[in-house]
Amino acid sequence: MIETSGFALANRVRMDRSTQSTVSSGAQVRLRKLSKAYSGLAAVDGISFDVPAGAFVSLLGPSGSGKTTTLNLIAGFLTPDAGDILIDERSVADVPPHKRNIGMVFQSYSLFPHMTVADNVGFPLRMRSKLPRPAAQKRIAEMLALVQLSHLGARYPRQLSGGQQQRVAMARALVSAPRLLLMDEPLGALDKKLREQMQAEIRRIHRSVGTSVVYVTHDQSEALTMSDLVVVMHRGRIAQIGTPRALYESPADAFVADFIGDSNLLAATVIESGREACKVKMHGGAIVGTPPAPFAVAPGAPTFLLIRPEDMSLQLQTCAQTDGREQLPGMITELSFHGDVFKLAVTVGDDVLKAKVAREQGGSLELGRQVVLTWRRDAARLLPPASDEASGIKATTP
Amino acid sequence: MTALAEYAAVPARRPLLARRHVTPALLLLPCLAWIAFFFLVPLGLMCWRSFAASGYSLHDYAALFTSPLYAKVMLTTLKAASLATALALLLAYPVAYVLTMSSGLRRGLILVFVFIPYWVDIIVRSFSWLIMLGDHGLVNKALINLGIVRAPLELLYNTFSVLIAMVQILLPLTIVILFGAMLRIDRTLVAAAKIHGASGWQAFRTVFFPLSLPGVYGAGLLVFVLSLGFYVTPALLGSPRQTMIAQTIMVEASDLLDWGQASAAGFVLLVITTTIAAIYNRYFSLDRLWGGSEP
Repeated sequence: MIETSGFALANRVRMDRSTQSTVSSGAQVRLRKLSKAYSGLAAVDGISFDVPAGAFVSLLGPSGSGKTTTLNLIAGFLTPDAGDILIDERSVADVPPHKRNIGMVFQSYSLFPHMTVADNVGFPLRMRSKLPRPAAQKRIAEMLALVQLSHLGARYPRQLSGGQQQRVAMARALVSAPRLLLMDEPLGALDKKLREQMQAEIRRIHRSVGTSVVYVTHDQSEALTMSDLVVVMHRGRIAQIGTPRALYESPADAFVADFIGDSNLLAATVIESGREACKVKMHGGAIVGTPPAPFAVAPGAPTFLLIRPEDMSLQLQTCAQTDGREQLPGMITELSFHGDVFKLAVTVGDDVLKAKVAREQGGSLELGRQVVLTWRRDAARLLPPASDEASGIKATTP
Repeated sequence: MTALAEYAAVPARRPLLARRHVTPALLLLPCLAWIAFFFLVPLGLMCWRSFAASGYSLHDYAALFTSPLYAKVMLTTLKAASLATALALLLAYPVAYVLTMSSGLRRGLILVFVFIPYWVDIIVRSFSWLIMLGDHGLVNKALINLGIVRAPLELLYNTFSVLIAMVQILLPLTIVILFGAMLRIDRTLVAAAKIHGASGWQAFRTVFFPLSLPGVYGAGLLVFVLSLGFYVTPALLGSPRQTMIAQTIMVEASDLLDWGQASAAGFVLLVITTTIAAIYNRYFSLDRLWGGSEP
């Protein structure tokens, strides 16, 4: 497990903030060995992680990985079977949801259908603070301005589009300046274009209010673009915690590598293991050099070789001069155009490798063409083999 | 994309009697035939007789509106029905709420206990109240033995006994209608209220209760219309002072054999009921009971 120091991250977040007008500060949240089971089945299995004050932390995982259960435990809708949650160093085990001072955006927005937009946004103010009416009105107007819906205060939720309802839900969650904001797949119901727009919007609002955010998503690109820190969950446990870049560049295991980004994940056998470099034999028999493994390996041990498709490039002939590059001859067996890039599959013996090349380099590509696939040796990475059935990863080789 | 697919799926010309029009019509036919023969035809006959019996005049209707008896009976009926409806709603709401909030075995058990009385015949249930509420009935015996009262209370043959039996008969239906309406309330709305600062009671008062009102209105109308036509219960448990309109019609038809007068009274009752339902529906749309959208 690779952890980024929460302290360093909090500092970075604070520095980002210093350029903004900070309205409120975020809460620090600590989860300690939290467990929750449903009828004997562990949904969350002894997880621990910290949310640094003011950070945007995503819980990322496939469905059934326990991320929503974790969020509901933090909210207080569920009681943990074991473990504790500390908000600003105080255990909230005995604090009911309405006293936790949390804002939340639900997957289906859950706006109150019988209240106007302004009344929805004002709801936490009416429940929490005994703010005098004019002050409350002013605060509601501020929040509506923040989410750019000032003109729609008198409407009812059903008269709004999905994106607008999303903004209202944000405004309601943030109106009483909670120190922690929980978001449960808030963009799941929106189409791609609107989703990207709302991602930027949520980031902007997060920067301007400074609240800590715990964001649940199964969309890895959403987690990468939005988060300071990503907690990858798998079957109720934490697979890895790290910054988006660390997860992408140094995945801890095959599950994380496969889940985050596109990847070539090839079953291989270690042939030589050294401090400077390793050599592995791929399924199809090709032998390639790799950087040293970040874990103990002996020759003969099974491993996974990870190479990101965008690290691949294509040339027409093998070069004599390799200078730190690996090369494998093969044939293009799949080719698709995606606007900015071409995605292709190159069959090398028994192995199929994915590659992604920029549009301007794709001019001479065609199916069936013999090419040489090359990559920088240090762009490859060895990963431990799946320790048990749990990782559920199949190598990309047939 | 979906719109496009649908557009593509529409054939260029649609024959008037396309399959998709014919099939639903065929499915509805047995039910429509049944209703036509056993409901609409008798209704038409009744309407015809209300004019024909007095030689095609409005004589029977004039009698209805000039006799003080009918006004009084109609008023008694409306009063009893309103009271019974209000009481049934009041008693059913908490049960429906608990049903909504529970699940599994608990919900099943409560439903069984709600339904057991529903499966028992109305006459049997009304008679059982005679036994319960009589001078030597269970209630009076208990009160006397506990020393709370010395002589038996007059619990029978008054508004109290009629109401208590009516409410008991109406309760299962009221509970089930309210339960159905409450089930459709999105429970995450209550969670949303709680996380945003509402205590359990506040969440109920500000979110759950207002959202359950359409169901309450709908159940209210159905139960009210149903209780307008009560016959056995007031006949068994009430005195002449609690006579309701259905009993009067029965007396006209079977004792006095004045079918014209009975038909006219029946028709007026139908018109009043329909009018109330229509006005009510105008303000508290019944569609919401079946999941339609709010105004």
